[in-house]
Amino acid sequence: MTEWDGRGLPPAAAARMARFQADGVRTSLLDVPGMASVSSVGLPPVGEVMGCMVEHIGWQGFGGCGFYGPTAGWAANWGATVTSGQGARYAGYKPYVDALYRGYDTAIERMVLEARSMGADGVVGVRLSVTHLGQDNREFVALGTAVRGTGDVHVPRPFVTDLPGADVAKLLHAGWVPVSIAFGISVAVRHDDYATLSQARSWGWNTEVSGYTELVQHVRDDARDRFQQHAARAGADGAIVSSMDLRIWEHEPNEGHRDHVAESTVFGTTMGRFHRGPTAPTRSLTILPLRRV
Amino acid sequence: MTIEANDQGIPVDALRRLSEMRPGQRTTLFTSDLSVNEFLLVREAGFRPLGLVLGSSIYHVGFQMGRWSQNQELETLSQAMYHARELAMTRMEAEADMLGADGIVGVRLDIEFKEFGSDLAEFIAVGTAVKADEAHAAHEGFSWRNNQGKPFTSDLSGQDFWTLLQAGYAPLGMTMGTCVYHIAHQRFWQAIGNTGQNVEIPQFTEALYDARELAMSRMQAEAESLAAEGIVGVQLLSNAHRWGGHTTEFFAIGTAVRPLREDHTIATPSLVLPLTDR
Repeated sequence: MTEWDGRGLPPAAAARMARFQADGVRTSLLDVPGMASVSSVGLPPVGEVMGCMVEHIGWQGFGGCGFYGPTAGWAANWGATVTSGQGARYAGYKPYVDALYRGYDTAIERMVLEARSMGADGVVGVRLSVTHLGQDNREFVALGTAVRGTGDVHVPRPFVTDLPGADVAKLLHAGWVPVSIAFGISVAVRHDDYATLSQARSWGWNTEVSGYTELVQHVRDDARDRFQQHAARAGADGAIVSSMDLRIWEHEPNEGHRDHVAESTVFGTTMGRFHRGPTAPTRSLTILPLRRV
Repeated sequence: MTIEANDQGIPVDALRRLSEMRPGQRTTLFTSDLSVNEFLLVREAGFRPLGLVLGSSIYHVGFQMGRWSQNQELETLSQAMYHARELAMTRMEAEADMLGADGIVGVRLDIEFKEFGSDLAEFIAVGTAVKADEAHAAHEGFSWRNNQGKPFTSDLSGQDFWTLLQAGYAPLGMTMGTCVYHIAHQRFWQAIGNTGQNVEIPQFTEALYDARELAMSRMQAEAESLAAEGIVGVQLLSNAHRWGGHTTEFFAIGTAVRPLREDHTIATPSLVLPLTDR
């Protein structure tokens, strides 16, 4: 096995690309309707493409809210939420979030590299996945189908989208073109202060636990903000969110000190508009499908 | 590093982001969690998505004991379900308001009980804020907003929203009614007496009737206050949450609508035979 320095494509992938260029056999991950739809808009599939990266995420940040004792706090005021997007270096989970970004970015970038070496104009139906391999190692995988325009004009950088083939075709018909996959990830941490604890443990009455509400609100806001910045950097006119998840867990950095940590992720596809009129050029048909629901 | 927020609890960063998204600026960019079909149909209906809007509240739901052998509403719990949903909805509407939206479509209202605390639940409302195109924007004597001056809300899908508008109706707001009810246990001798027989258990029937009727009439009252013609897409759910077998939330939710014009016919649909099963 040859040594690979992490730049460009790994030897196995480079060999597959070379074989593709030699024999021209086309593969695809699309289902039949998906393939028929992309072909109908002049973007037939040329091959399945993949990008992957195994990353060791050892240092996830100091992991606490930054509160140590009644007088000192590295980053947080008493009872504040610290999000990874605030740039605080020693509190919150910024190194962890940065590592996730690097993982997804690298996987997508390597997938695009494969697509470019196939001369593709886009990658559709991309699926992103993360597998925990144990010992803080994670594998990031991006898997999609490269498509290539039948005309003479080709783009310098292929578009990338997690939308299925049929959706891509519909968007193109309506004057929109997918641009890239955007994502926003944020982790926030909040100390369980007295007010939060008394609200959460109150027995007989109803009350909003404002500390936790603030935690989830801020972490979602930060993730949505980063998602939007990502989309803006891609020069898009809009973005369709495909998933938005939230996970909360308890964390006890030391005795008698409890924090709550929330992780929010937003994934989606950014789009650019190429029709000029005020409304989309297509008209829907009112149809009644002959089938069971 | 505290995070500043306005009085509705929206952080300053979020306010900045929302203000950048307001239409008609260089920074304008929309986000939306509609599917591609929904997005295109909402556009075709003459609305522009402005942004994904969201409101959330983590709420400690109080405790109330039901009497063993009595059918009764547990008001403390009913109030909790109302109040927490209201908080989430209001915060979502506040975000839409910041964007200058006419309404919010595709709203999902979820409750998730959290693992890290007993009786803690997150109430969350998510939807896509939309604004009418210039061609049929609000004008003298007509506004897409409802009679409370708020953006309309609707849990209908983009497809249903399109069809509703084609048929000359407009959504006004999501209406809901809730009732947490304790269903009495059977008395010992009654349970013994029913062994091996096929009989109706009247107090169970009555309890379920009572609870559903309360939930539905509360939903109806909300629609009346919006001056709606009716409610479409009603779902009547019973959620056991975490209260054990005899305490259940009966929850009714739907979209209140008003007519936009006199006739409500849509184009005759053509029949198609799709080449897929789904």
